[in-house]
Amino acid sequence: MSEPAGDVLRDLARLLTSMGPALAPEGSEALLQSITEAARELFGAQACSLALLTDDQSELVFTTASGAGASDVLDLRMPVGQGIAGWVVMSEQPISVSDLQRDARFASDVAQSTGYVPRTILAVPVTSPRRTLGVIEVLDRDITRAGAEHDMRLLSLFADQAALAIENARAFADLGRTVLGAVANAAPGTPLAAALSAAAEGAGGADRDLLRLSALLGELDRLGPAERRLTSSLVEALLSYVRGRGRRPS
Amino acid sequence: MRPLLAEGALTREWAWAGATGSGVDVAVVDSGIDAGHPMVGGVSSAVAMTYDPEEGDGVRRVEGPHEDLFGHGTACAGIIRRVAPECRLHSIRVLGERLTGKGAVFAAGLEWAIERRYRVVNLSLSTGKDDYFGLFHELADRAYFAGVMLVCAVNNVAAAPSYPSQYASVFSVAAHDRQDPFGFDYNPEPPVELGAPGIDVTVAWKGEGTIVTTGNSFAAPHVAGLIARLLSKHPQLTPFQVKTVLHALADNARA
Repeated sequence: MSEPAGDVLRDLARLLTSMGPALAPEGSEALLQSITEAARELFGAQACSLALLTDDQSELVFTTASGAGASDVLDLRMPVGQGIAGWVVMSEQPISVSDLQRDARFASDVAQSTGYVPRTILAVPVTSPRRTLGVIEVLDRDITRAGAEHDMRLLSLFADQAALAIENARAFADLGRTVLGAVANAAPGTPLAAALSAAAEGAGGADRDLLRLSALLGELDRLGPAERRLTSSLVEALLSYVRGRGRRPS
Repeated sequence: MRPLLAEGALTREWAWAGATGSGVDVAVVDSGIDAGHPMVGGVSSAVAMTYDPEEGDGVRRVEGPHEDLFGHGTACAGIIRRVAPECRLHSIRVLGERLTGKGAVFAAGLEWAIERRYRVVNLSLSTGKDDYFGLFHELADRAYFAGVMLVCAVNNVAAAPSYPSQYASVFSVAAHDRQDPFGFDYNPEPPVELGAPGIDVTVAWKGEGTIVTTGNSFAAPHVAGLIARLLSKHPQLTPFQVKTVLHALADNARA
């Protein structure tokens, strides 16, 4: 392998090592599973499931489930434009419905999204400040137990945990793409750079501005400590200026 | 200049006794309204908005009858109709078949209502996206100065703020556990200002049926209906004055 490409590989290895703590996708899935199990146990419920939006935001896919109908509901897809789960995701408002079996039309709607027909459903949105991620549902919880009137708020806390786990997992995925692109930019013209760029392009989704920034950080790493300190001060000053401009969309 | 409020003390008798919401335009920005539902009793206008990159501002607007995709808009309309039976309901459908462009479509729906000076706008939906903080803030201010009352369901169970219910100029509503459709509370601890029925309430739903449901999104239309009643008797009131009246007449203020 040529010398520049070898440098790039070393850079890549160093970057990936420093990002080690983020490399834990299985941990995220296990965490989401434990969130649905904890919620089901706490609410004395028959089932708890999590459905996430697809990339094109047209469907919900059940990715995690525990309890009754769990195996049936996993990987089930439903249009985001219908049903209780769809409305919760669209409106970003929690909702609870009881007496579902009274109305046959409604029951079939819910059954399609759950795998069995419950009597009650509690559904809250799973969101981060940047995006809507999906919905978490609890079916047939025990509403006679003490504190049941706080269930909606409690489930929202679980939803916040789920959102953190999902965003962490996605940050890892985006970071991988960002790193590939950045390394490709740092060694322009090499066959490896072309391969890395192609890989980064194929991955899609990463922010181009971030790719550029990442490449600049790579250059910075090759400069001296004085330059790095100067750049840090400049970036900090810029960030504090940008924050002071408020939160209007650009 | 007209006298601001009542001559004597504010009473419910003065505020809305004998009022029906007649002549007051109330918009429901939601999933559409099933105009044929027996609890809705017809709508005066309907517009469906969807995300469409081909349009200049990314939003396609289609006027004319539409169905309710979920049932939720119909539920809100039914509650408003119950409290203000003779108001004019307007359905502004902003929730569609996919989430893409929701913020822009939602904002366009709100703008539609403000431009037409509908006096009351029910918003039982929200966005938590920081990107929309500024845009919705601007629209909320425009509504306030135009005398348009934005009644917003608070998503007070989430850790992060949601818009537009977070702004001081709107009527932010959460659910309380009483059933009297004309009962409401004033909450002295912002950002939630009002409490209204929203726990185990029976509401209209898709397909002419009803469901028993819980959520702040059902509390907001109770307040929207009450404001419509108040405005049908006292159309000159501004949002500031309506808040004053609601504060004075709240169940917990009178107790």
